[in-house]
Amino acid sequence: MNALIYTSALGIICLLAEIFNLRKLIIPIAIAGLLAILGTVALDWNADNSIREAALYNMLRADSFSLTFSGLLISLTVLLLMLSTDFYKTEQAKISDYIALILFILAGSLAMASFGNLAMLFLGIEVLSISLYIMAGANKHDKRSNEAGMKYFLMGSFASGLLLFGIALVYGETGSFDIVEIRDFIATHQPTSMLYVGVGLMLMALLFKTGAAPFHYWAPDVYEGAPMFHTAILMTVAKIGAFAAFYRLFSACFIPVMMPFGWVLSIVVALTITVGNLSALVQDSFKRMLALSGVSNAGYLMIAIVTLYGKTDNAVFYYSLAYGMALITAFTIAILVYRSSETESFSGFNGLAKRHPFIAASLTIAMLSLAGIPPFAGFFGKYYIFSEAVRNGRMWLVIIATINSIIGVYYYLKVVFAMYLKESDSNAAPLQIPVIYSVVIAITLTVILAVGLFPSTVLGWL
Amino acid sequence: MTFYIFLFLAALAVFCGLMTVTSRNPVHSVIFLIGCFFAIAGHYLLLNAQFLAVVHIIVYAGAIMVLFLFTLMMMNLNEASEGHKPALARISAVVSAGLLLFILIAALKKTEPFAPPLTIDHSIGLVKALGNTLLNEYLLPFEFVSILLLSSMVGAVLIAKRDKSPKPELE
Repeated sequence: MNALIYTSALGIICLLAEIFNLRKLIIPIAIAGLLAILGTVALDWNADNSIREAALYNMLRADSFSLTFSGLLISLTVLLLMLSTDFYKTEQAKISDYIALILFILAGSLAMASFGNLAMLFLGIEVLSISLYIMAGANKHDKRSNEAGMKYFLMGSFASGLLLFGIALVYGETGSFDIVEIRDFIATHQPTSMLYVGVGLMLMALLFKTGAAPFHYWAPDVYEGAPMFHTAILMTVAKIGAFAAFYRLFSACFIPVMMPFGWVLSIVVALTITVGNLSALVQDSFKRMLALSGVSNAGYLMIAIVTLYGKTDNAVFYYSLAYGMALITAFTIAILVYRSSETESFSGFNGLAKRHPFIAASLTIAMLSLAGIPPFAGFFGKYYIFSEAVRNGRMWLVIIATINSIIGVYYYLKVVFAMYLKESDSNAAPLQIPVIYSVVIAITLTVILAVGLFPSTVLGWL
Repeated sequence: MTFYIFLFLAALAVFCGLMTVTSRNPVHSVIFLIGCFFAIAGHYLLLNAQFLAVVHIIVYAGAIMVLFLFTLMMMNLNEASEGHKPALARISAVVSAGLLLFILIAALKKTEPFAPPLTIDHSIGLVKALGNTLLNEYLLPFEFVSILLLSSMVGAVLIAKRDKSPKPELE
């Protein structure tokens, strides 16, 4: 539960490292530091944290949900940092700033995964968002990147305003920022309309942050405009962090007032999955396709919030793990392909299987996992979430989601067809594959396969 | 007496807020917004939140408004440059804002304000009480704000830093 403090300190160390001319050491220091922090999270797992929680006035809580999600977010960041060694090769002058921002993004998402107080939730979302606005607009000379940064900034600050407004109304009703006190107040009092308005405003802000329809309009443009590596951060750490906050807030506080929101949320979920899927279907750019499939994946995850009454937290964790690992594999390969072919469309992948069978096979596994084909991890993620929803009587939602995941197979396999069945241009240069990228792909593939073959080990964690 | 001051301040705040939105000249908008902020600061004083009132004036009426005016001057925005928005966008904006107002008023009207606490702590809005709360109970968020400020500072430097080899793509 001290992971938040250590991560923030590590970010500041990275900023200071530039003064001492340690630019080359920044990424190794950051990775080693994060691995150590991962160790402290593992130590917290068996420890009794109640005294330390009380010392921090329950601002952060070290329950099994927050610890597993902290571990997942830290691991994803380690993988992303491994990719960054090569991505920032040409931007050595800014490397300390970028790495520090990535660590601050992690700090924000850790606060969002383990908050015990609405003040920490808001600050976590703000730290995450402010750093992400900068990351989205990082490529100053690219108009699309400027547009992405500006658009994300304007809409994101509006959503933050809604969140703050909602928190204020909930505070006005319950008289507390602490999630346990809010839960106890709601459980013992008749909820009033002010509370509903507050919860509704917070819900809108969180739907925006997770990129769910009808608040998803920023997502494709921002994800497409940002530099490729930053899109990977946006779609993995930021999205999983936002979703963890969403799930945590509603499962910890607002189950008793969920009744009027149940139908609204169900419709939002159905809309999110369908809109994301149908828009992804017609895309020509691999990056934009992944961005829109990210929208529909947020929808699948939100089924778990609709069916909060059951124990869905381990299914949510499992899905997030499978989703994060598959996306990192996909983005690693997309960065490599983009660098050699300078195109983000599917044609860049043409004939990749002949030139690089290992890379093509890895991307195929990642895509199959995202599409939800057994025996890969993505299938069981969907399976557990859907079965919880069926158990809670949301059959129609599951039917819509299943139809959509069948549609999803088409666009996920588009890139696979391009790799295996189409001929490459005769002058296509072979990919330059740095060793560290192969290591990242090997790690993520191992996780996808291991988690897919032995799902019960992960499900038992929570 | 307090009630009349409250009424006066509330009317002033609403009037200034409306004028902020409806004035055609952006500089007038900003001036009215400053008036609105002062009226709200007056509300804080009525509630004995002296620290909040002072900070509100320093931060909003002082720093942020100066930034607004500065930006307006830099970008030379005047009436002529303000583009006309499509009617559909205007209508939908009015409808959604009106719906939000309606829901908020309806919700607040139905809500029973919870019973006032029996012992009102009069020092609650003073600097001393606030400092004690911030550095005891809210120490962790208080420190975490520094990360927020630091990351926005890093971002500002990152965006403003001149590149060694500027590419001429962007005019």
